[in-house]
Amino acid sequence: MSYTAESELVVDNTSTAERLASAVVGLGLVTFVFSLVGVTQVVTAETTILGISLYDFLAGGLLLMGVGTVSLGIGSRTGVFNTSPDATPGAVTAALFGLGAFALAGLVASQSLGLGTVGWLLGATLVGGVTFAGVALAPEDIGSTLPPGVAAIGVAVAILAGIITPAFAWEPEGFSATLTGSMAIPLLLAASTLVTMWGGAKAYEGYGSKGRQTAAYLLVGINAVSIIAVLVALLLFIASKGIGPAFEGFSLVPFEWPFVTNGYSFRPEVVNGVFPAIMGTIWLVIGAVITGVPVAVAAAIFLTEYAEQGRFVGAVEIATNGLWSTPSVVYGLFGYAFLIPRLGGTTSLISGMLVLGFMLMPLCLITSREAIKAVPDEYRDASAALGVSRWETIRSVVLPAAMPGILTGVILGVGRIAGETAPILLVMAGGLRDDAPNVLGSFEFISSPPFVANDALLESAPALPYQLYATITAGVSAENAAAFGWATAFVLLVVVLSFYALGIASRLYFRRRLNA
Amino acid sequence: MTDTSSLGANAPTDTTVAENADRPQTTDRHEDTPDSWTDYAFEGEPKLSVDGLDVHYGSDQALDDISIEIPEQSVTALIGPSGCGKSTFLRCLNRMNDRIRAAEVDGTVTFEGQDIYQDGLDLVELRKRVGMVFQAPNPFPKSIRDNIAYGPRKHGTVQTDLLAKLTGRDDSDQEDEIVERSLRQAAIWEEVNDRLDDNALGLSGGQQQRLCIARCLAVDPEVILMDEPASALDPIATAKIEDLIEELAEEYTVVIVTHNMQQAARISDQTAVFLTGGRLVEYGETDQVFENPKSQRVEDYITGKFG
Ligand SMILES: Nc1ncnc2c1ncn2[C@@H]1O[C@H](COP(=O)(O)OP(=O)(O)O)[C@@H](O)[C@H]1O
Ligand SMILES: [Mg+2]
Repeated sequence: MSYTAESELVVDNTSTAERLASAVVGLGLVTFVFSLVGVTQVVTAETTILGISLYDFLAGGLLLMGVGTVSLGIGSRTGVFNTSPDATPGAVTAALFGLGAFALAGLVASQSLGLGTVGWLLGATLVGGVTFAGVALAPEDIGSTLPPGVAAIGVAVAILAGIITPAFAWEPEGFSATLTGSMAIPLLLAASTLVTMWGGAKAYEGYGSKGRQTAAYLLVGINAVSIIAVLVALLLFIASKGIGPAFEGFSLVPFEWPFVTNGYSFRPEVVNGVFPAIMGTIWLVIGAVITGVPVAVAAAIFLTEYAEQGRFVGAVEIATNGLWSTPSVVYGLFGYAFLIPRLGGTTSLISGMLVLGFMLMPLCLITSREAIKAVPDEYRDASAALGVSRWETIRSVVLPAAMPGILTGVILGVGRIAGETAPILLVMAGGLRDDAPNVLGSFEFISSPPFVANDALLESAPALPYQLYATITAGVSAENAAAFGWATAFVLLVVVLSFYALGIASRLYFRRRLNA
Repeated sequence: MTDTSSLGANAPTDTTVAENADRPQTTDRHEDTPDSWTDYAFEGEPKLSVDGLDVHYGSDQALDDISIEIPEQSVTALIGPSGCGKSTFLRCLNRMNDRIRAAEVDGTVTFEGQDIYQDGLDLVELRKRVGMVFQAPNPFPKSIRDNIAYGPRKHGTVQTDLLAKLTGRDDSDQEDEIVERSLRQAAIWEEVNDRLDDNALGLSGGQQQRLCIARCLAVDPEVILMDEPASALDPIATAKIEDLIEELAEEYTVVIVTHNMQQAARISDQTAVFLTGGRLVEYGETDQVFENPKSQRVEDYITGKFG
């Protein structure tokens, strides 16, 4: 180009500051991941990288980050780096940094310096207040890099210098819990890294509104990924413990999977399995959906399409929310005291179905109402203008359009009830059994009302979550209860996820029908 | 009046028709008011006739003493600044205002001589015969075929459900006929005949609006009410809708609200001008209203001095 642009509409992408800031954030991501893994104790102080203890290695990283961040701030202030910071980092940042400084100073004063309550409170308040005032008065570049940078350097030095070691143990007064160094170090590392990365991300964009946006995206993104990480960690953990025992004696040709197809026979020569419990859980969910969902959807239709918004609808809304918040064991107690005496006097599959159906109702009602409300009024107008009655409109237009939303409620609800233990304990409790509830095969026609009978429904039946509880806590099965429990947990997870997949698939089907 | 079927369950047709016969062809009650010219003489019976219509939303008055007679097989345009009650008026003609809780309607509206606000009126029958097309295209999230066949199926004109098929009363052929006829009438058949089972939401805005017109035609109405049917569409789609409306007027009675005066001038036979306060200020042959308005306020409005 033959002319030089006066204003910087296009900023050169590869300034030193940006490279330094990227390094800080990149280093931070790695340190953060390892620190989180450190919290789970999968890797510990004994783990070494290049011959250096893991924590020292991470602290080294944090130290570099701290130095980098401080340089970014000072470089920006002295004009070495080309940035456009605001006048102040803002009151919220100042307050949060003040709080952080208060906490850090309090820990140092009480734990390392051994000051008494008055001493550490005074010290911490002083440091926190000074940080708050300093950050509030500083320009944005200094205010959002110096505090995290200095804190990072401090934390890193404390770890490297052995002031906090894995052997360190803190027993806060009045708590019986102990926070060990091996726990505290990765936690401190993770927190400090996160804040420092935030400062680095701001510096990357040269501060200002763009910097705040990038920094916020970074934090929000890390949170989102962390949620997935928790889920994956949980699944992997259960799978690693449960897959072994669950696949004992498994063969593909001829197909044999004793853990899933066998009952619990108490005979040493065969593999004990959870088939009865799987069938119990499946029947339980089917029964709960049949009893709970239609009632909930019908009530949602009435409340949304027919009833006038007023006291009555308000009262029903409060009642619904109350029911949804009611602890499951209370539902169980209700079933135990109310249903069981009326349904044969013993714990039974049908009582379980009904109780879980009642539990399913409020959530399905709430979500169905929202789904029905979200159906555009234009559809109702169009239908009414064709002379179609309200009920026909609901049936043919509103409900199909609300179906994906209604199914979302059912999916969430089933996820909750399939794993319920407390109500099952009270109303259905079947111990370890060899035979599965045979619901379909037990239907009998009789000559007097109600003309059908089903003994399987009136008998107690096992269910996966309750069986898990029974084996692990109550030690019902004497032999390797733990392995059996883990395998049961694994199967329960698979069963619940299958219901989930089924729900998602049907929701996709209905959604596809609604959209072009 | 060739159609003798009654809208009312308790059939008060005799009295209404008798009263109607005694009435002069044009209303002369309102021509004296200095600021409104609403007498308009035309041949034949009015298809719709409105007398002393007031509408309130709570304490707000949306329509003030409207009297108008609408001839059949023609296009009647309703124009006026926004908020003057055009949509409200249109909704009175097929009782869609019933669906608005706050709306309170007084006065008489007769359709082919029968009071449509009488007790025992069959709303289904009324809305079958007085159809409506809305401002924003609102096809159902269903296939094109299901959209068109919706009305006939719900009214039992055609039966294509499983039970009908099992009992050998399957009307699929008849339904196909209705779908094709309606889509052809709405000038959209050529564009969609190869994808009748695709979702209607996949059509363009203009196509969706013609589909909505076809859906309305499928129940075989006599009157079609349209509330700014082209205001959400681009000029080409608008032109198509305008052509379509002129064609429809050969068979149907069309009442159309529009904020576009050129549009009203192009397609309508008679024009009613509403002005603020929910008053009908002038009603007459379109050419006369646009070229030689009797009311000064209407002239100001049409020439763009206000509104
Ligand atoms: N559903 C409603 N509830 C309350 N007031 C309404 C409603 N619909 C229209 N109105 C009022 O009635 C008046 C006329 O509205 P409308 O018939 O929509 O006018 P136009 O179609 O000519 O723009 C306006 O003042 C409007 O605010
Ligand atoms: Mg309007």
